[in-house]
Amino acid sequence: MKILPEKSAWQTGMGVALTFVVGLTFTMLLPSFNENWSLNTLNPAGDQAHYHQPYTAQQLHGRLIYQREGCVYCHTQQIRPLEGEIKRYSIGTSLALPSNEREYVYDRPHFLGTRRIGPDLSREGGKYSDDWQYSHFYYPRQMVPGSIMPAFTWLFKDNEGTPVPTQEARDLVAYVQTLGFEREVYDPATYNASNGHDDGWGPWLKPQDRQASQQLGENAVNRITAGPDHGTVRGGTEKTPADITTKPGMAPTGPAAPTPTGPATTP
Amino acid sequence: MAIEQIKAMQPSAPPERLQHEDSAVKWALWVGLGYLVMFGTIGVIAAVKFMIPDLFYSVQWMSWSRIRPAHVQGMIFGWLLPIYMSLFYYMVPRLCGTKLYSEKLGKATSIVWGIGILIATYCLLNPSNTTNLFLVTKGKEYEEYPIVSNIFLLVGWVMLMWNLCNTFARRTYTQMYAALWYVMGCLLWTAFVYVIGNWPSQLFSTDGVGGFSGLNDANINWFYGHSVVGLIATPGGLGIAYYFLPKAANSPLYSHKLSLIGFWTLGAIYIWNGAHHMIYGPIPYWLQTVATIFSFLLFIPVLSVVTNFFGTIRGEWHQLRTNVPLKFIIAGTVFYFLVSSQGSFQALRSLSAVVHFTDYIIGHSHMALFGTFTFYAYAGVYYAIPRAFKKPLYSEGMADWHFWLSFLGFIVFSAALWVGGYAQGQMWNDPNIPFIETVNFMKPFWHARAGGGAAMLIGMYLFVWNMYKTATVPAPPATEDEIRVAEGRGAAAQANA
Repeated sequence: MKILPEKSAWQTGMGVALTFVVGLTFTMLLPSFNENWSLNTLNPAGDQAHYHQPYTAQQLHGRLIYQREGCVYCHTQQIRPLEGEIKRYSIGTSLALPSNEREYVYDRPHFLGTRRIGPDLSREGGKYSDDWQYSHFYYPRQMVPGSIMPAFTWLFKDNEGTPVPTQEARDLVAYVQTLGFEREVYDPATYNASNGHDDGWGPWLKPQDRQASQQLGENAVNRITAGPDHGTVRGGTEKTPADITTKPGMAPTGPAAPTPTGPATTP
Repeated sequence: MAIEQIKAMQPSAPPERLQHEDSAVKWALWVGLGYLVMFGTIGVIAAVKFMIPDLFYSVQWMSWSRIRPAHVQGMIFGWLLPIYMSLFYYMVPRLCGTKLYSEKLGKATSIVWGIGILIATYCLLNPSNTTNLFLVTKGKEYEEYPIVSNIFLLVGWVMLMWNLCNTFARRTYTQMYAALWYVMGCLLWTAFVYVIGNWPSQLFSTDGVGGFSGLNDANINWFYGHSVVGLIATPGGLGIAYYFLPKAANSPLYSHKLSLIGFWTLGAIYIWNGAHHMIYGPIPYWLQTVATIFSFLLFIPVLSVVTNFFGTIRGEWHQLRTNVPLKFIIAGTVFYFLVSSQGSFQALRSLSAVVHFTDYIIGHSHMALFGTFTFYAYAGVYYAIPRAFKKPLYSEGMADWHFWLSFLGFIVFSAALWVGGYAQGQMWNDPNIPFIETVNFMKPFWHARAGGGAAMLIGMYLFVWNMYKTATVPAPPATEDEIRVAEGRGAAAQANA
C-alpha cells in the first residue's frame, strides 16, 4: 500500500474525527432528545403535576454530602426489571417498582452507580427510621453485623460522650429518606407500606411513572413462566404471575425495619 | 531473519548519527513511577478495608469511598498517561527519524501534569471536608477530578500534542508505522474524549453543579467512562505494544494491513459502546441493543491486534524464557483478548443480569487497565529506559520477579473476583437470601483479592527500585549492543534468530 505521507496524515486525522462524531451523534446526541430524560422546560408546571417534585434545599445539600462521601461507589440507584431485584428491594409485602427514566430528571449529577457492595438505594426512603439511619452512619456494624460500610463518624459531633448528628448528617438522611418518593410528599409520620396503593407494588412514584414502571416489572415477573430463554435469572422458588397478587414477602435486609418515628427530616 | 528486512519493516530504526536527548522521557517517567506506587499503595489499602472495615475508621480522608476514586483516577491519569507520555517521547522521535520538537516543553508538560494530579487527589481525599463545588469530586465514575485539576490536565495534554505534532511534522521517514498511527490517534481521541466528558456539563452549568441532569448525565458519563479505556488507554497501549513488540522480539511486524484494519475499526466502533454499562438500566431498549451489537463488533479490532501480535512472535517463542519486555507484552496480549471477549459477552442481557454490579466487573476492569495496558507500559519501560539512560538495566532478575509477582498476583486477584462475583450475582437474584449474607459470602474472595493485589504492589516497588537504580548507579555510557548483551540477547541470541 503506497501512502503519501502528508496526505495520509490529514486524512487519518479527519477520519478519526469523522468516525468519532458519527458515533457521538447516534449514541449521545440522539438519545438526549428523549423527552423523558430531562425536564420539559416549556411546561415545568405541567411536568411537576404528574412527576417527581424538585429537591428541597435541604435534600440538595444532602445530595452533595452523598456525592462528597462517595456513597455512589457502593450503592446503585436503579432497580432493573428483573424478578430478583423487584422482590429483593421491596418493602414489607410491596414489590419494588423498576426504575423509571423520569425519576432522575432532577439528579445532577446522576447516581445510577455501577457497583453494589451494599444494596441498591433507589427505594430506600422510609425503609428505616431516621434514628436507625443515624446509628447506621455512625457505626454501621452496630446495626448490621458483618457490614463493611465505612463509619462516617465525622458527620457527628460529640456531646458529652453522645454522638449528635451534624447538619450534614441531617441533610444526608433527609435526602436518603426521599429516595423513591415524591420529594415533599413523603412524611415518615404518615408513611405506610402501601401508601394508598393496593396493587401489590410499593408506595413509590406518581401515577404517570408508576404505570410505566409497573409494566416493566410485570413483564419481568411474567417472563418466568415464558421459559428460560428470556434472559431472566431464576432464583428461589418459581413464581407465577398470580403470585404477584399474593404479594410474596421477603426478609428485609439487615435488622427488621423499626416503626417510623416522628418527622425528623427537618433540622 | 535478515536485518535488512527488519529495517525495511521498521522505519523506526534511527540513523546512527541521530542522538536523542530523551530528558523528557525521563521526567515523565518519574511522574508516572511516583504515582504508580502512590496509587498502588492506596489500592491495596482499599482492598484491605474490605477485610478490616474499621481500618483508619475515624480518618475521613482515608474513608474507603474517598480513596476508591483516588485509586482509579490516579492509576489512569496519574500512572498510565504519564508513562504513555514518557514512551511517546521515546517512540515518536524514533519513528519519525527526527529529534523531539522541544525537550523543555516535554519537561514542563510533566510538571504541569504532575501538579494537576496532586491537586486532584487532594480534592478527592478532601481532608478539609469542603463542599465547594469547584473543589469537590464531580461524583461521576472516571470523571471525578474536580474542575481545577481538569484545567491542568487539559493544558498538559495540549502541550503534549503541540510537542508531538511538531515532531511528527518534521518527520524524515515517508511511511507511517502502525505504532505512529495509534499514538497520533491516542492524542486526538484523548483530547476529544476528555473535553467532551468533562467540560460541557460544567460550561452549561448555571450554579456550579453539572449542567446535565439524570440520564443525559449518565449517558455522557458512560460514553466518557468507556472511552477512557477504549479510546485513551487502548490506542496508547496498543501503540506502545506495536512499537516495542517487534523491537523486543527483534522480529518484523506480522501484517501492516491488519494493524490498519484494527486502527480504523477501533475508532469507528468503540464510541458506540457507552450504553452497555447500563444494560437493563432505565435507558431505552434500542440504545442498550445498539451497545450490545457494537460490543460484539469489537471482536474485529481485538482479533486483528491479537492475530498480528501472535503472528509477530511466530518462531520467536523461545525468547520468552529470558526476555522480560516480551513476557509482559505477550501476557498483556493474552489478557487483552480475554478482557475484550469478557467485555463483549458482558454486554449480553443474560450475562449482564447476573454479573452487573458485582465484583466480576472489578476483575474485568483491572484486566484491561492493569493486565493489559499496564503490562504493555511495563514492557515499554523495560525496553526504553535503559536506552534512554544509555545504561544496562540494574537487575534483570528483579525485573523477572516483577513479572511473576504481577502476573500470578493478578491471576489470583481477578480469578477470585470473577468466581466470587458470579456467585454473588446468582445469590442476588434469589430474593430469599438477605443481602448481608452475600456480603459475608464474598469475604474469603476479598481476602484472596487483597493477597493478589499485595503481590502486584510488591512487583511495582521492585519495578520502581529497579528503575531508580538503573538511573542512579554510575556507569559509562553503554552502546545498543552492550545493552542487548546485558539483556541476555546479544550476539548469540541474534545469531540464533
